[in-house]
Amino acid sequence: MILDLERFQAQSRPRWSKLESLLVALENRPDRRLNLAEAELLQELYAQTAADLNRVTHGALAPELRQYLERLVARAYAELYYAPPTRSEIWQPRRWLRIFTAFPEAFRRQSRYFALAAVITLLGCALGGLAVRYDPAAVDVLLAADYLHNPGQRVAEEEKGQNRHSDSTQVQAAFSAQLIKHNIEVALFAAALGVTFGVGTALLLFENGVLLGAVAVRYTQQGFGLFVTAWLLPHGALEIPSILIAGQAGFYLAQLLLRRYEDRNMRQSIREWLVLIAGLAMMLFWAGMMEAFFSQRHAPVLPYGLKVAVGAAELALLTAYLLLIGRRDPGAQARSNLPSENK
Amino acid sequence: MTGSQSVRLPTTAELTVATPEGVLFRLPLAGPALRLYAMLLDIAIVLAAVNGLGRLVYLVFAKAPGFGVLVITLAEFAIGFAYSALLEGFWNGQTIGKRLFHLRVIDQSGLPLHIEQAWVRNLMRLFDALPLAYLVGGISVLSSPLMQRFGDRVAGTLVVRETPLAVPLDEAWSRQKYNSFLEYPAIALRLRRAATPELASLIQDALRRRNELAPYARRDIYRDLAAYLQSEIAPFPDELIEMLSDEQYLINAAGVLFADQRLQMVRATFR
Repeated sequence: MILDLERFQAQSRPRWSKLESLLVALENRPDRRLNLAEAELLQELYAQTAADLNRVTHGALAPELRQYLERLVARAYAELYYAPPTRSEIWQPRRWLRIFTAFPEAFRRQSRYFALAAVITLLGCALGGLAVRYDPAAVDVLLAADYLHNPGQRVAEEEKGQNRHSDSTQVQAAFSAQLIKHNIEVALFAAALGVTFGVGTALLLFENGVLLGAVAVRYTQQGFGLFVTAWLLPHGALEIPSILIAGQAGFYLAQLLLRRYEDRNMRQSIREWLVLIAGLAMMLFWAGMMEAFFSQRHAPVLPYGLKVAVGAAELALLTAYLLLIGRRDPGAQARSNLPSENK
Repeated sequence: MTGSQSVRLPTTAELTVATPEGVLFRLPLAGPALRLYAMLLDIAIVLAAVNGLGRLVYLVFAKAPGFGVLVITLAEFAIGFAYSALLEGFWNGQTIGKRLFHLRVIDQSGLPLHIEQAWVRNLMRLFDALPLAYLVGGISVLSSPLMQRFGDRVAGTLVVRETPLAVPLDEAWSRQKYNSFLEYPAIALRLRRAATPELASLIQDALRRRNELAPYARRDIYRDLAAYLQSEIAPFPDELIEMLSDEQYLINAAGVLFADQRLQMVRATFR
């Protein structure tokens, strides 16, 4: 209570109002750049108001005035220390298209988490497959749904087209929307489960693997191996890798959380996670389209050989895309980084 | 009076930011209830937008209803995430709901958030919404010192309250013409020295909230506060106390504590 509050307020109020009106002008037009005089004025008013805040904090009992000044200082601080994206940076289509190269690059940078996701899924597949192969009781538990339990009946129905309400493209389009939405939700969930330090992601991948292995073995056991490959591969070629990439994003997130206090560039790190999510969403869009319009048609309309070939081609293209796109010539890069010695 | 009169000290958690210049400031954090209201409003806005879009799509795709469903399903899904992410990213941490409830998402450092952070915290809603009605997120908010749901923890963001503030005006006690406590400068100075900031703001709050308190509560609180001041801090003479109500006692005490020009008078008298 060293401060004469009334005189202090009367003296300082003009500069507070000046700072406030400057802040309002800036906040209303984030794209606006300050000229030199304005920047100097903002810096000066900020410093003065911060000093006023210090005086009020230590020299007076004025909780409300302190709160008011804190708010003012916080806003000025944000204006001074943060550069918002400008409109010209946002509306550049070329920046948006960069996702197509950024995705495979991020995939390759974080490939060890993809490997981890693949190993966990394969372990699940092995468990599911072995259980169905050697333990008949496991079939009831793992493949509770009737269509999984009795492949023969399902194959006959599928081939006769009984499960398709209509061949109409309209129904297939609506069906594809449901598939895309559901798959992206599941994948996003697997990636978000990284917040459980990867435990949730691992469980989800393992469960997915168990089901996959069990179905594959059950159908193959009963002689429908070709059918099930032709049925699942055209969309599975993208769907299964995208779930693995979701697992990769989940494990990457877990690692990010564990090491967040060492991370100097958190913004860049979480952008990598977002790029993986965006990439797998694109893959699942394609997979949903294939599942609705292509996978559900069986022989004799579409020969199984053709369907398997299409699926294999998709898988090859995806592999090439993920491994090759955006890869810079390492020799060229190394050369450009080296200082030239023969000047 | 103005809105500033009803503003109280933050009673909930707050973020303390230290700037490079060595200035400390605090930002009050938003509790789960306010955030829930803002979210419900945002959900209503998204539903209305999707509904409007649905009608438009229905007209445009009249001949191909299946593709209409495809468009609207994916649009609904995308808008659900993008509405908050884009608004928060490009509108300085606010959605329409947050703006109306005076909330803002900011970076943990006290600076505005980046668009990447806005996307991450909104995509993580899928986890925070588990198993229903944002139970996981709610528990996370209540158990976190910075009131963060999991999306905020991952993105490094938090939600602050921004009740509009104006420069505080004069208080009732600084307007009173005569303060009998100043007749006893030695005891008045003792009161100023011995009263902690917490005690002073307690008295201030009690007086300001006079009309919000039920009569019996007001009587009890004022009596307890006055008795405490009189017995523990600065005993004014009995002949003065007998003439004052508890409320007048507190107004006088606040006058001694807060009104600074009168300090000059006290000093002058004391000399």
